[in-house]
This record gives sequence, structure tokens and C-alpha cells, in this order.
Amino acid sequence: MTPGGLLLLAAACLLAAIGLGPRFERPALAFTLCGTFAGLLAALPVLFGPVDWEWKTSFLLGGEKVHLLLDGVSAVFLVLVSVIGGAGAVYAREYWPASHYPASAGRGRAWWSALVLCMGLVLVVCNGLHFLIVWEAFALCGYFLITLENRSPEVRKAGWLYLAASHAGTLGLFAFFGALAARAGTWDLGPMRNAEGMAPLFWLVLFGFGMKAGFFPCHIWLPSAHANAPSHVSAIMSGVAIKMGVYGIVRFSGWLPVPATAGYVVIGLGATSAILGIAFALTQNDLKRLLAYCSVENIGILLIGLGGALLARAHGNALWGRLALAGMFLHVWNHGLFKSLLFFGAGSVLHATGKREMSRLGGLWRSMPWTAGLFAVGAVAVSGLPPLNGFVSEWFIYLGLFDAVATRSAFAWAAMPAAIMLAMAGALALASFTKAGAIVFLGAPRTMAAVDAHECGLWMRGPMMALAAACLAIGIAPASLWTPISRAVGSWHSPWVLQAPPTPLQTLGSVQLVLAMVAAAAGVWLWRKVRVNGACRNLTWDCGYAEPVPSMQYTSGSFAGIAGGWFFWIFLPERKLRRPRGPFPDKALRLERTPDTVLERVIAPSAGFITRLSTLVRGFQHGRLQSYILYLLAGLAAVGILVYFGTTK
Amino acid sequence: MIAATLLRLALWVLLAPLLPGIINKVKAWVAGRQGPPVLQLYFDLARLWQKSVVLSTLVSPAFVAAPAVAWVAVAGAAMLVPLGPLGAALSFRGDVLLMVYLLALCTAWAALETGSAFEGMGAAREVSYAVLSEAAVFAAMLSLSVQTGSVSLHAMLAPVSGAGTVLLAAGLFSVLLAENCRVPFDDPNTHLELTMIHEAMVLDHSGPPLAVILHGASMKLLLFATILTEAVLPTTGLAPLAVAGVVFAGVLIVTVGVGLTESLLARFAFRRVPMLLTMAFLLCLFSLLVAWKGGVA
Repeated sequence: MTPGGLLLLAAACLLAAIGLGPRFERPALAFTLCGTFAGLLAALPVLFGPVDWEWKTSFLLGGEKVHLLLDGVSAVFLVLVSVIGGAGAVYAREYWPASHYPASAGRGRAWWSALVLCMGLVLVVCNGLHFLIVWEAFALCGYFLITLENRSPEVRKAGWLYLAASHAGTLGLFAFFGALAARAGTWDLGPMRNAEGMAPLFWLVLFGFGMKAGFFPCHIWLPSAHANAPSHVSAIMSGVAIKMGVYGIVRFSGWLPVPATAGYVVIGLGATSAILGIAFALTQNDLKRLLAYCSVENIGILLIGLGGALLARAHGNALWGRLALAGMFLHVWNHGLFKSLLFFGAGSVLHATGKREMSRLGGLWRSMPWTAGLFAVGAVAVSGLPPLNGFVSEWFIYLGLFDAVATRSAFAWAAMPAAIMLAMAGALALASFTKAGAIVFLGAPRTMAAVDAHECGLWMRGPMMALAAACLAIGIAPASLWTPISRAVGSWHSPWVLQAPPTPLQTLGSVQLVLAMVAAAAGVWLWRKVRVNGACRNLTWDCGYAEPVPSMQYTSGSFAGIAGGWFFWIFLPERKLRRPRGPFPDKALRLERTPDTVLERVIAPSAGFITRLSTLVRGFQHGRLQSYILYLLAGLAAVGILVYFGTTK
Repeated sequence: MIAATLLRLALWVLLAPLLPGIINKVKAWVAGRQGPPVLQLYFDLARLWQKSVVLSTLVSPAFVAAPAVAWVAVAGAAMLVPLGPLGAALSFRGDVLLMVYLLALCTAWAALETGSAFEGMGAAREVSYAVLSEAAVFAAMLSLSVQTGSVSLHAMLAPVSGAGTVLLAAGLFSVLLAENCRVPFDDPNTHLELTMIHEAMVLDHSGPPLAVILHGASMKLLLFATILTEAVLPTTGLAPLAVAGVVFAGVLIVTVGVGLTESLLARFAFRRVPMLLTMAFLLCLFSLLVAWKGGVA
């Protein structure tokens, strides 16, 4: 079947799933899986073959001809939508069943299929007007999924914030597509790299899609939405939906000319997001908020790659741009895989204990060994450590940046700090995920809920295992993905097509494979050696504590204390301290909360100011006719004065 | 090739525990003591390897596996380091990144297994200071990369050094001290839990896992000393044997330098450690700027 037929099949299956979702669980799941599988199959021939799939019709929709296009760039994202769309649907079967959530389970299935369908449409639609329509539909699906549990005020608030931020971005997109259509004379989209005067539109692209992508400081909706949504929804929002924003930026920076400074701005935004996103993640106590902030970091990494590519394209197609861009495309997949895995893991913890606060968990590896192990795989991958996939994509981006610095030209000023900040972000990510994994899964349980936890079932474990396996597979055989990645790079900028995978990539893959095997063997061997020598179990020694209790353990807050202190200037944490006083101290407490600086220190105060101002102005409109007549007279008098005293030339 | 790699691995494994012995001897010598024998760590390792293990009731099997994994990571990184005329076991474009990331794999995870606050504190310090030392390491590697126009350790470490060598040497030496838990960042001898980083993390390890951790730490020290020596010493134009001699002498000098630093300096207060690391980062950064703007092409 051609990609077109498969896409049609996918759309039909998903539509059927939307229709069946509210009532029939199994058929809806089957149709969703068929649809996502067909979507995946449609993307593969485009990625592994040389030709794009394009469909131009004379069929009018809203006065515009329907035009669909699946090229390398959109196919990369379509693969991600399909994989996570399928995995999340399976996961939701156990995570959000009708027996627990009678009101929202069916609704959730329907909206899920709708979200997957709309994201697929965003990727293939090639007309400005239609793009806006499916983009809006996609945003709305996201809203209804986030607010599935709409009885909780927290969730409603998070959903509202998402909707507001999303529409602020859409406003930018309306301006962008409108201006584009006005200048190009058509709503039809396509490569216009040589068009005059289009370059400034890039700033609208960056803002409009950036609100969805959630780089710093456009990330305001991300933490609360991802934390309060059901975990499978968080997984697709964080792993895939924010990538749609990245898709928009990548797509239109590839098709349209960009301003000369675009590369510098994008790389700067990327480096800032990477560092600040992960710094905020480190200080969080809510497991899902931590993961959400970590997405801000990863969007930053993607932007560093894209910024490098933009710089290289502007400076004579230097080849290091290709490396950075290939790293970016690979990281789109990688981040989608491991972040969904981590959110599934967090969901499974939430499912078992009902808690997201890390300081109320601990020691879960005993009752949830599978979740603990799979979460650990995700944590290693997201920290960018060998031998998993996160390292491979970061390795590409680093190579691009190192090569850029080695050229000793002006743009090395951008590449050099970006490389160093990327390294620091990597170390902070390691700190964050050491904390997240260890506080939640290791040590002693801190509450009864953590003691009574239970392992999740196969429907939840299966998707997690599949995603973890994908992370490992990309880590040890990255060269096999070179063809699709190179295809996407070629679609973005045709001079950068490269057929054969670079030799270092193959070497890296085999080194990672050997390392993984040797490390596993060494671990098992040491464990056996310990067994042979004899091991006895006893209380934690800890320099002689007679009776350690769980509350003595290091907490998530104290673990983040040192590195968090370095970012004090941006965190501006709220602190409440009451010291113990007197010989028989009464109560003492110390509370600390790290609010989102952009949202609560910048946007909320300015919104409050605007509201107060509007309230003042509203005083003029009170419905008393006499005053209105007075306004008229005053206005007339003002005009009269202007005319009388004003001079005309 | 496999035989050659194994031979090289054996060299690393056997030579590494010598370094802490030399450092301790230097410290004893400065203090006017006789000190433990140079081979003390070998004896310790052999003894620990035979011992049985006490495990905390809280720990998972990963507690034992983690030291092994970290050891493999350091050994893997060591295989990427070119040894003078011998070259590296494996060299490819971008291997420097793999090496740095392998060294970043640490056992902080395992330290949190026991539920001990001391070990948690050690782990928190380790991962936090790693942020700054990572920045310094990357600045240093960028500087070498700019000097040589290459991203492969084999080429980056070989040629004539540029004008920023002194800065680079100072920066890398500070990073070496920090990453290997040496004075003035950390004190490998103290048993006051509150003042330690690395030692606090391994409080509850014993027997073979502790041996693996100690050996891995000595290998990491040897690795950093080798890299520092090769990055700084210009060895082009020398006969292979002479290069080997120069590198060996360089590593020895670095080791003695660590011992002297440890004897003459007190450990810094913890508030100062980030500043010291920032200084190391700035040194590496300035060497990068010098390499970029003033160095030979």
C-alpha cells in the first residue's frame, strides 16, 4: 500500500476509535492501535525511500484546495506520534479504566484518538488555513485530555492555563499564516527559501510555535499541565505534543528564509532553556513536575541543535550544521521515547501509591521491581549517559558544536557557550534523575502508602518495556537509524543529504554494545563474588546509628540544596521559617516552595496590573445617561479646542 | 586486537593502585613520617577481595552491581586514552565525548540505597560539584580541540601545545583534584562524615564491592594524570621510547604534585569549593580563548 492509502486507513481507524471510544473499550483500543500502526507504516517508506508523498487535489475545503505532504521532516515526527500514540493507548487501558473512572474513561479514549489524529493531520497538512484549523483542534484535544479529571480544581486551573497559553501562541500563528498568505499570495505552503521580505516572519513562528514547544520562558503552562494530567496524557503531551511546536519551528525555518540573527537567538534560547529547565527540575518535589521541567531542558537541547543548523546554513552550508541537525532529529525521537517511559513510570508509582510527592515515597523497588528497573533505564537515557539513546543524540549535537568552535569564526562565540552549557545541563540532569530515581525507589519507605505499593500489571508494564527496549536499541545500533535521520536532514536542507552512515557512528554503536554487555556481566559477577564470600544483612551502619528511621533519610529538598542554591537568583523561593525557641520549644517549621518564576513573578503580577487597570476604566461605564452625555460634551469640547487652536499646514 | 586491548587493560589495572601509594608516601615524607609502603593499596585490595560483606537491610542488588558498572565505565574510558606511542585501544571521531560521559557515570545512586543521611549528603555533594567540574572539563576539551582542529583524543593530545598551556595545566590539575576527591576539595583520609564527599558515599560498602570502588578510583586518578600530562607536554618529534618515558615521568610528577598539594594545603570550607571549581573552569575557559585567538592554527 502507498503511504497515502495507509494514511487514509490510519485516519479511518482513528475516526472509528473516536466514535467507539466512549462506549466500547476493546474495539476502540484495537482501532487506535491499527490506526497508529498504519501511521507508522506510512511514515517508514518515506523515511527509508527517496521520494516524498504528496497529494494535491482540487477539492476545496473552506475555499482552499486540500494539499497534503509527507516528507522526511514530517515523517520523523509522524513516527513518534504513532509509537507513543499506540503505547499510551495500551497503557491507559489499565491506568485509566472505566472501573475507577466511570465518568471519564470512555471520554479519555475518544479524546486520545482525536489527539493522535489531529497531530497526524498537523504533520501532513500543507495549507495555511487548514493548518490553523487542525492546529486548533489539536490544542483543544489536549485541553480535554488534561482536564479528564475535571472535578479537581488543580486540574481545572492547569487546563485553563494550558488553554490560555496555547491560544496566545495560536494568536501568533494567525498573524504568521495571515502575513505569509498576504505576501505569498496563496495559503498554499511549501519551500519559499528565496522569497523576498519573508525573513521577519520567523519571529512570529518562534513565538507561536514556541508557546507549544515550551522553551524557557514560554514554558509556563508545562509544569502544571503535565503534573495534573493523567500520566498517559502527560506522556504524550510531554513526549509528543510539545514536539509539534518544535515541528513548526523546524518546518518553517526550513521552508522560509530566516533573519541573519535567527541562529544566534535560537541557540541562545536553547542553551538558556537547557540550563534553567533542568535547574528548576532539580528543585521540584513533585515527581511529575520534575519530569515536566526536564522537558523544558530537552526542548532546549533540540533548539541548540536547530540553532547550530541555522548558523551553519547561513554561513556557507558548513557540514557541522548537518551533524547538529541530525542530532536534533534523533533527539526528537529519543526524548519522546524516554520521557514517555518516565511518565509511564511516574504514573505507575501514582497508581500504586496515590502520591506524586517524592518526600512521601521511597523504597519502592521492593514492591515494584519492574517499574523501578524501567524507570532507571529512562533515567540513564534522559541523563544522556552511555550506552543508551540519549547519549547518541547529544553526541551528535556536541560534534556539531565542537566542529563549529574549531573553525574559529564568529559563530564559535555561540557554539562555545552552548557546548559548555549543554555539558552543565547534562550534569544537572544526572543530579535530578539520581534524586528522582533514588528518593522514590531506593532507601526505606517514608509513608504507609509507599509500604503498601503494588507492582503495575502487564498492560502498563508492556508499553514501558517496549519503550525501554527502544531506548536500548537506539543506543547500541544508532547506525541503523542513519538513513531516516539523514533523509529528514535532506528534507530540511537539500545540500546536506548523506547516504552512508559515518564510520564513527558505527564504532560508537559497537562500543556501546560492548560496554553494556561487559557492565552487565561485571555486575552479575560481582554479585556472585559477594555471594561466594558470604554476605550478611544488617542495619545500615552509617557510622554507628543504633536505630535509623525512615525520616532520617536524605530528602529531595536537601539533595537539591547545593546546586539549587546556585540558581537562587532565578528561583526566588518562598520560605517560611519558625525556629524552635526557648528551653522547651513548641512548634518549629520550615517550608520552602519554588514557584515558577516566569509565571508567578512576571506574568501573574502583570496580569493582575492589567486587571486592576481594567477595573478602574470600567468605572466609566456605569449606565447613567447624564454622565454619558457629559462625556459626549467633553469630547466635543476637546475636538473644538483642537480645531480652534490647532494650526493647519 | 583483542589481545592488545587486554594487555593494555592489564597495564591500567596493575599500575593504577600505585598512584595513591606514591601520594601517601610523599605526604608521609613531607610530614617526616615513614608512612605506609607504596604498594599498600595492592595489599588492601587483595584483603578486601577475600572478605565477606555486610549489606544494609535496605539495599537492592543494584547496590552491589553499581560499583562494577562504574568500574567498567572508568576502564572503558581508559581504553580510549592514548598512551603515548602506543596510541589508544580504540580511536574514533568524537571519542573524547564518550570518555567524558563515561567518567560522569558515578555511584551516587548506590549511595542513596542505604537510607543513610551521611551517604545522601555525600551523593548530593558529588553530583552538585560534578556540574562545575563538567563545565571545566568541557572547556578544557574544547580548548584542545580548537588547538588541534580535531575531536579525537588521539589527535587532541599529541601535538605541540599552544600558548595557553599553563592555564590549561592549572585548570586540569584543579579538576583532577576535584574529580578524584583530593585536598583541597575533599579529604580522602578523614573520617569525619560531615566533611567528606566521596568517602561519605562509600561508608556502607565493604568487601569486594569496596575493593572495586577503590580500584576504580585509582584508575580514574591515573586517567586524569595521563590526560593532563599528554595535554600539556609537547612530545612531537621524540622517539617512541622517549615519549613513553616522558609520559611516565609526567604522570609521576603529577602524582607527586598531588601529594605535595595535599601536604601543604588544608581542605577548603565547603562554601569555598564551588568558587575553587569555578576558578578551575575559568582557567580552562581562558586557555580556550587563548587557543582560539592567539594559538597556532
